[in-house]
Amino acid sequence: MTVTARHPAPASAPVPATATAAGAAATVEAPGLVVEQLSGSTDRRRRIRVPRSVARLSGVVVVLAVWQLVAVTGRLPRTFLGSPVDVARAAGHLIADGELPAAIGASLQRVGVGLVLGLAAGIVLALVSGLSRIGEDLVDAPVQMLRTVPFAGLVPLLIIWLGVGETPKIVLIALGVTFPVYINLSAGIRQVDPGLVEAGRTLGLSRLGLVRHVVAGAALPQLLVGVRIALGVSWLALVFAEQISATSGIGYLMTSAQELLQTDTIVVCLVVYALLGLLADLIVRILERVLLPWRRSFTPDDVQGGTR
Amino acid sequence: MTTPTTTRPTGTTSTEALAVDVRALGRTFGTGDAATTVISDLDLAVPAGQFVALLGASGCGKSTLLRVLAGLDAGVTGDVTVARNRAVAFQAPRLLPWKKVWRNVVLGVPGATRETALAALREVRLEHRADAWPTTLSGGEAQRASLARALVRQPDLLLLDEPFGALDALTRLTAQELVRELWHAHRPAVVLVTHDVDEALLLADRVLVMAHGRIEHDVAVTGDREHGSAGYVEQRLRLLGWLGVHDGEGAA
Repeated sequence: MTVTARHPAPASAPVPATATAAGAAATVEAPGLVVEQLSGSTDRRRRIRVPRSVARLSGVVVVLAVWQLVAVTGRLPRTFLGSPVDVARAAGHLIADGELPAAIGASLQRVGVGLVLGLAAGIVLALVSGLSRIGEDLVDAPVQMLRTVPFAGLVPLLIIWLGVGETPKIVLIALGVTFPVYINLSAGIRQVDPGLVEAGRTLGLSRLGLVRHVVAGAALPQLLVGVRIALGVSWLALVFAEQISATSGIGYLMTSAQELLQTDTIVVCLVVYALLGLLADLIVRILERVLLPWRRSFTPDDVQGGTR
Repeated sequence: MTTPTTTRPTGTTSTEALAVDVRALGRTFGTGDAATTVISDLDLAVPAGQFVALLGASGCGKSTLLRVLAGLDAGVTGDVTVARNRAVAFQAPRLLPWKKVWRNVVLGVPGATRETALAALREVRLEHRADAWPTTLSGGEAQRASLARALVRQPDLLLLDEPFGALDALTRLTAQELVRELWHAHRPAVVLVTHDVDEALLLADRVLVMAHGRIEHDVAVTGDREHGSAGYVEQRLRLLGWLGVHDGEGAA
């Protein structure tokens, strides 16, 4: 009964006694006992390691190269899709003459106002529904019902009600934002650990104190999940909103480019949408770091970085 | 029917300082056929400064009684009067993960500063973890933080709901020692819910054995509580007998 657990085995790890007794120095099989080396210095296969970022970037480069190649050989007419070089050139022009920055400014303003309104509405509704039974009965059912309506489908109605100015665009974005914020925050409020609420009560916290210290802390992570989804939705809503006869903004730039078959400009706009979306995501990540410092203690940075 | 938090109306015979005064307490969960009576017609008086251990098998109603004393259970019948200034330490530490340890300690204490928290943490020897997040504490540290949170309120009545139940054996011994020390220093009345006979004998002046929603036995812990001494073994055997354990473990 020799049990030799060879964990971090030193170079001169003792060979199981039974193995030497049997005269077979190489085998590590004792009768009825099979051991396995889990760590230690054995012949580890050496691999050439390419940095992850380089490997990931190369895929993008290949796609761009093929795209450029197809365009240069004339198989891809410029009116169908401009080449990457065309796109880059268009971007340069649009930035130089100030058209793109102005458009981004106009779009950002719409998203910003819509986001603020939607966030406020979502938070207020979730607080009303999450903090009181009557509020839940009154608010939750209608909101859940409205949530199933695809917000983009509201465009015709919004145009009839609000015309084609800025208002329907902002309202559409705000509507798109309200629901994810509401759903996540109200769920977060309902998931508060009753044990913590009880503890708070024995500590003499008032109802307001409980909301401030216990409920808010517990629901904040879920609220940020809602905000993250809301930011994604807000860009989507912006795209739809700017199809409503816009006279400024990225969507306007796209629509006018469409009329002139300037596919390169359209691609520039799409890239801008994507970059702004990335930026929004980054902002939420930073918000999470700043507002949830206690979560970092059990979410090591390397785990976060590895799961993109 | 009074709520558990109200003090007894004046005019009745003035009781000499009682931290807990419970009369004809009843607690029934559910209604109609599904009704389960957990506590019925229970009387209990705990003088100021007394350390009481509440023993009983699972489901005997001891945790319910503690919740009633804490003011967390309003659905009771009978008269419940408890010290207004009371604190609870639960089996789980129940610290708010989003507040640093010291902020947890002084949460809900008006006008408390970081210094107040540090003083309480010093008493439970956790001063060095004041700025830690609760999730980084070990089980024993978290339970000590929870004790500091109770202590900082300088309670007249300290309610402990199996606070050492989730700790490993060694940590539990240290924690019990600490509770004894703190009780000697501050002298609050203590009601300790436990199912550990040794813990009850080690810490308490008086042991109550609960069964079927009543206090079936009420004894003072007397004389020698040295582990393994004759007096200790005898009291331990008696308590075990009341709890329905009749094995020959007395020599342990």
